[in-house]
Amino acid sequence: MISTTAKTTSALRARPFLGAASVVALFVALWMALVWSPPDAVMGNVVRILYVHVANAWLAYLAFVVVFLASIAYLWTKRPVFDAIAVASAEIGVLFCGLTLVLGAIWARPTWGVWWSWEPRVITTAVMFAMYVGYLLLRNLSNDLERRATRAAVLGIVLVVDVPIVHLSVTWMNALHQLPSVLRPGLDPTLDPSMLASLIAMTIAFTFLYAYLMTARVAIERRRQARILEARA
Amino acid sequence: MSAANRIGGRRVLIIAALAIAVVIGYVATQTLQSAAVYYLTPTEAARRGIAPGQAARLGGQVLAGTLIYDPASRALRFTIGDGVSTVKVIGSGAPPGLLREGAGAVVEGTFAADGTFRATQVIAKHDEVYTAPTGSAVPTHQTPAP
Repeated sequence: MISTTAKTTSALRARPFLGAASVVALFVALWMALVWSPPDAVMGNVVRILYVHVANAWLAYLAFVVVFLASIAYLWTKRPVFDAIAVASAEIGVLFCGLTLVLGAIWARPTWGVWWSWEPRVITTAVMFAMYVGYLLLRNLSNDLERRATRAAVLGIVLVVDVPIVHLSVTWMNALHQLPSVLRPGLDPTLDPSMLASLIAMTIAFTFLYAYLMTARVAIERRRQARILEARA
Repeated sequence: MSAANRIGGRRVLIIAALAIAVVIGYVATQTLQSAAVYYLTPTEAARRGIAPGQAARLGGQVLAGTLIYDPASRALRFTIGDGVSTVKVIGSGAPPGLLREGAGAVVEGTFAADGTFRATQVIAKHDEVYTAPTGSAVPTHQTPAP
């Protein structure tokens, strides 16, 4: 007998709240970023791109770490829900990583003077983007749920190593990209307090957005998994 | 049941994947820290003996009192230093708006026979410190025409 009722999981119930929280938080964060926070003493209002660029980068890190954890959990337990979490987080991570690169280029033109330069932070971030696109493409190679999930899980564990490499690249090498302003040893942010507050607000907003997108995408993946299993049965 | 479905197979996969990740991470750290070079400081360039005409990328701080740009002739001059050595840079065209004395710069180009560096591209580097402007003057950012 094929079951067609969807379980109302706690994630599904949370989705409208996450959606509303995302919208509200984004509005507040955008107001802080574009209106409330001060311009920078050196680059003026161009600094406001920082809030979205950095928030996107941090969320990409988070998303790929979630892929890593879900991959381990899948290999450990073989429960398909972890594979669903991994693919959902990878897709959202690729989106945030792509946005980071685009916003970085928009920020680079008026500050560095060029749209792009193959410098360490840019290269490692572009590589991270390409690798996780590869992760998503690899999944399309097989429709066998277990084989696909196992292959993807191994890749999801290996690829996370680029996340710390991206972050530390500027400290290891002569780079054009500036050193970290927040995630630095000693954790003394080199940002004006109001700028730091705006960045944190934007990060919180994007985190709500990430959670909202996750609930939606995981639900879609679970339905796809159920369809494949039904077709098998 | 495939081999990977047995309990032992799963754990082996996790451990193998983690091991690969650690190895990649270790190799990357070692290689990136020593071999990969985006730019050379003036001292590093001198140590490597970059020959005139060889394409190079230098980075350093624009020394105070050295930045001159003449819009009429589009001649750009400044000196970059790393606290030990200095290199005179000669370029043409408007510099990036953020290029200032005391701030960082990255220049691409070649050394001339007289030891000056002929830059084909000048990139401004800014540090990680962001502060609100003091006083009433808000810097208006101008991206110069190419």
